[in-house]
Amino acid sequence: MPLDTSTYSLALLRLDGRRWNELRRLHAQISVQAAASGSSYLEMGNTKILCTVSGPSEARRGAGGGGAGSSEGNLEVDVSFAGFSGVERRKRRQDKRTTDLSHTLTSSLTPLLHLHLYPHSTITLTLSILSQDGSLLAACINSATLALIDAGVPMTDYLTAVTCASSPSTSDEEAGDPLLDVNSAEEQELPFLTLGTVGREGRVGVCVMESRVRGEGVEGMVAVGIEGCARVREIVDGVVRGYGKRFA
Amino acid sequence: MPITILSPSAAIPPQHAPPDDEDIPMADDDDSAFLSTAQPSSKNIVTPGETITSDPQWMRGHGTYIPPNTSTIISTVAGTLHKTNKLLSVQPLRARYQPEIGDLVIGRIVSVQTKKWSVDIAAPTLASLPLSSINLPGGILRRRTAVDELNIRTFFSEGDLLVAEVQQLHNDGNAALHTRSLKYGKLRNGVFTALAGAGGGIMSRRGGVVRSKRQTFTLQTAAGEIGVVLGVNGYIFVSKHVAPAEARDVSITRLEEGVSETLYSSQNDEVEPGLRREIARVSTLVRGLVACGAKVDEDMIVRVYEAAVEMEEEERVMGEKVFGVGEGAKGVVRSVLDRLAVG
Repeated sequence: MPLDTSTYSLALLRLDGRRWNELRRLHAQISVQAAASGSSYLEMGNTKILCTVSGPSEARRGAGGGGAGSSEGNLEVDVSFAGFSGVERRKRRQDKRTTDLSHTLTSSLTPLLHLHLYPHSTITLTLSILSQDGSLLAACINSATLALIDAGVPMTDYLTAVTCASSPSTSDEEAGDPLLDVNSAEEQELPFLTLGTVGREGRVGVCVMESRVRGEGVEGMVAVGIEGCARVREIVDGVVRGYGKRFA
Repeated sequence: MPITILSPSAAIPPQHAPPDDEDIPMADDDDSAFLSTAQPSSKNIVTPGETITSDPQWMRGHGTYIPPNTSTIISTVAGTLHKTNKLLSVQPLRARYQPEIGDLVIGRIVSVQTKKWSVDIAAPTLASLPLSSINLPGGILRRRTAVDELNIRTFFSEGDLLVAEVQQLHNDGNAALHTRSLKYGKLRNGVFTALAGAGGGIMSRRGGVVRSKRQTFTLQTAAGEIGVVLGVNGYIFVSKHVAPAEARDVSITRLEEGVSETLYSSQNDEVEPGLRREIARVSTLVRGLVACGAKVDEDMIVRVYEAAVEMEEEERVMGEKVFGVGEGAKGVVRSVLDRLAVG
């Protein structure tokens, strides 16, 4: 049954009561697992992710990506969904969506990490999705960034991500408002894109859109997305600094 | 049923710490740079992507990079800034162990090859231990022979624990180990403990094993002597102390006589229950020390061990729990540390 998102144009409030440029509650912790090289726990609204990093350690023999022979380190990403994470219980372990997700993470994080410092090594990133409520890729990127920082892997800058949707337009001429940080109800109803930026100046590192949207709307969505990424970067940076204070 | 409208409560303000965007103030005059040599220059930490300085007089060290076509030094890890003369480096809060020449490490044999062993020392790559850098049993320093190569598994086989020293580093960061001293060799009669992320002498993180003069020491307990080996890589081995075969006329030429067949034995000796208890106590206390963020070295372990034994004795005399001991190793060490601070 399609959800009714048409009320947005009347009250300018979304289904969960947020305004167009409001993020959901973002809560993060690092070093949550003492046994891992690095770990993080991140909540974006009701999307909850546990991420652990193991390594850099010796590349496994016969592992793909030429880890053992190459002069650069190798990043492996393993995404797993908890059976209870969604509304319906999932049976299949691996599907196209999981593979896409881990591929996007690998290709977006690899250029940021200074892997040339770890020849013949592999860094394994394991993401456990505990609960999903929209913005899954964005939450995965943010938690992976935090876990890699905790592991002490050198990286150029933070990679932070948010999603941005386009609200249903009121008239035929102009596109709808951009909406920041969609939840799963909005994700089903509205066209949205996931945007990840590197650093303060907001260089776009990831941009994924799987739905159709009016051409005029895209510019506004990207602009709002970049603003949102900068806000997420501040929050995530605050988490790392708060953790660092414990050792000061 | 009537509908009541509750007045909205004030929203909880976001709990995030405000980001401080200021860069670390840099002292430009040389005097202050010398004063703060190898000391954390500031209580604040730097995070990845943060500009440390754009002054071209500084050189970049570990944990930093310079983007192409600029002279700005930018941090790549979250950690504290260290200045050594004109060298800027960032020491990460937590990282894998990076081997350095001369480090005493504990390792586990992963695989056996024709002329060397591959050893896991918690570094980014496996270390190698060539057959030529171990003490071969039987008499004076002798050449290794083809027979030794065939019998390589009689010295170390997969899964064996050993204590060794980093002899050299290859360009790609691979470490080569050696055990050419009677201090080094196979480990047995004890318990192995791994302290993740606490190795490598990471000074900015307060806890963990630091490089010190004495990494191997013995501890006097009621049940006997315990040998403790603190690997710089965060691996710890606590065992029954076996006195070396009596040191009779040790000369350079006869040094190797001490290297008997028992050196490479994988058979544990008989360890008395009382001693096992003390070994378990020491290894638990070490884990607790790291969980509390305390430094792990000889002095600390001796003090904490003695206080823990005293505490147990007092508890037994009183016949009840007198100290508010929390759960697990961390709780025990915390109450011991509190007690040491008071007493």
